[in-house]
Amino acid sequence: VRCQHYPPLRALQASAALRRASDEHKKEPLTSSSQQHFDSPPAGHQPEQEPQGPRPSYTGQGGQESEDYESEEQLQHRILTAALEFVPEHGWTAEAIAEGAKSLGLSVAAAGMFHSDGSDLILHFLSECNTKLSELLEKEQKLVQLGEAEKKPIDEFLRHAVEARLRMLIPYIEKWPQALSVLLLPRNIPSSLNLLTSMIDDIWHYAGDQSTDFNWYTRRAVLTGIYNTTELVMMQDSSPDFEDTWRFLENRVADAVAMSSTASQVQSTGEAVVQGLMGAAVTVSN
Amino acid sequence: YQVFESVAKKYDVMNDSMTLGVHRVWKDILVHKMNPSPGTLLLDVAGGTGDIAFRFINYVSSVRERQLQRKLKHHQSLSWQEIFESYQKDKFNSVGDSQVVVCDINREMLKVGKQKAQRLGYSEGLSWVLGNAEELPFDNDKFDVYTIAFGIRNVTRIDLALQEAYRVLKPGGRFLCLEFSHVSNPLVSRLYDLYSFQVIPVLGEVIAGDWSSYQYLVESIRRFPPQEELKAMIEDAGFFKVDYENLNFGIVAIHSGFKL
Repeated sequence: VRCQHYPPLRALQASAALRRASDEHKKEPLTSSSQQHFDSPPAGHQPEQEPQGPRPSYTGQGGQESEDYESEEQLQHRILTAALEFVPEHGWTAEAIAEGAKSLGLSVAAAGMFHSDGSDLILHFLSECNTKLSELLEKEQKLVQLGEAEKKPIDEFLRHAVEARLRMLIPYIEKWPQALSVLLLPRNIPSSLNLLTSMIDDIWHYAGDQSTDFNWYTRRAVLTGIYNTTELVMMQDSSPDFEDTWRFLENRVADAVAMSSTASQVQSTGEAVVQGLMGAAVTVSN
Repeated sequence: YQVFESVAKKYDVMNDSMTLGVHRVWKDILVHKMNPSPGTLLLDVAGGTGDIAFRFINYVSSVRERQLQRKLKHHQSLSWQEIFESYQKDKFNSVGDSQVVVCDINREMLKVGKQKAQRLGYSEGLSWVLGNAEELPFDNDKFDVYTIAFGIRNVTRIDLALQEAYRVLKPGGRFLCLEFSHVSNPLVSRLYDLYSFQVIPVLGEVIAGDWSSYQYLVESIRRFPPQEELKAMIEDAGFFKVDYENLNFGIVAIHSGFKL
């Protein structure tokens, strides 16, 4: 029984031993290494040189024992990432999580750490996708700033961002309708809405939106609508490489842009009409 | 030990009458919370008459059946073993490679359990082992899930039992404990006390002919550490993500922890 001087950050000795063993065999599957949380340093490459293990130690004073510390959240993260591999076969369920845990060398009972409807796995996947999208947009923004690429017009930018994000669903597209239905359960709505709004927010931020008035809300509402409808179209699209979906997206974005220009036209027409009426009133009164 | 020797034969009947049948629901909830997937190895300690073990087998069989049906729907190929089993539909579906080991310190309880299993038709995936919770006769890192339903109260050194649980569990394995616990709601608490001290020993005398055993039972429930204290003890044994769920206002609580 170890002393517990650092209550919130406790080492997971068993998992540490397992990871040391798995590191020696370089067992990290390729799909999960590409989706690794971007905080952790590139792991599997030098297991021999770094006997302390790839993960950064989170315990402030814990230098005396081995540095293979890992918090519960990190372990859960690893299990969920490993579980994504099993989704095409088992769906977004606790079974997939159990298989993921097994692939990491843990008991299948570890899936009991998560909720039994598989929602934890779906939310994990969504947040990973959003992170990847942000990274992608960030990179492209840097290129524009460095002058190596041209700044896209707004409609093309939105199309590109939504398409990139939706393409991340393609490996899991068969089971995605199931995931959507789980996300609509009342218990999961707060978290799924949260992720959705933050993603839309991200896209607008990189699109250069700096509005501080009511436009902020309309823009986000419109883009959310576009995203959701395109996602639904994608679910039952069977054209090669989802051509139909991208065409649908193009039309919706064009609609939205047209709508905003129409709105401003209406506004200016309205102002013109009012001015005309005022002029007429003045003339009549004279 | 003697208490349960005398109690063994009437154990199930007494459980039903004392809890008015609600203990079945509690045990169902426990297995549901476990949500075992096929291929799980369960150790049920102090599992005497096999209630948890039978529920586990039922649950796993039905999950397996659903999996097989899903595979058939998707025209995936089944292994010969699975095809063989699907032709063998008896009363109960095959357990596959899931297994439950029922361990109890009391020979009489195990005997009653075995007879019950035979009567209800459970044959596969069950083993019965005589053993002490404080010193389990198993190797390290063996089981996926360890359950102890209404048994940990009767263990003299709870910390030893928890340490043994930690030892025999695989990394990632789960500890589940179903036990009577502390009621904090004052109204329910008063009614519960009234029922426990007035009704239960009387039932014990009438049905099992044993007032003192059931008096002991009720008193041992009162002496048992409350939820938070038990949670701390489980954490001390090395378990992570320790949590508890109160059932019926705290009359019963399910504690869960993981060996990570």
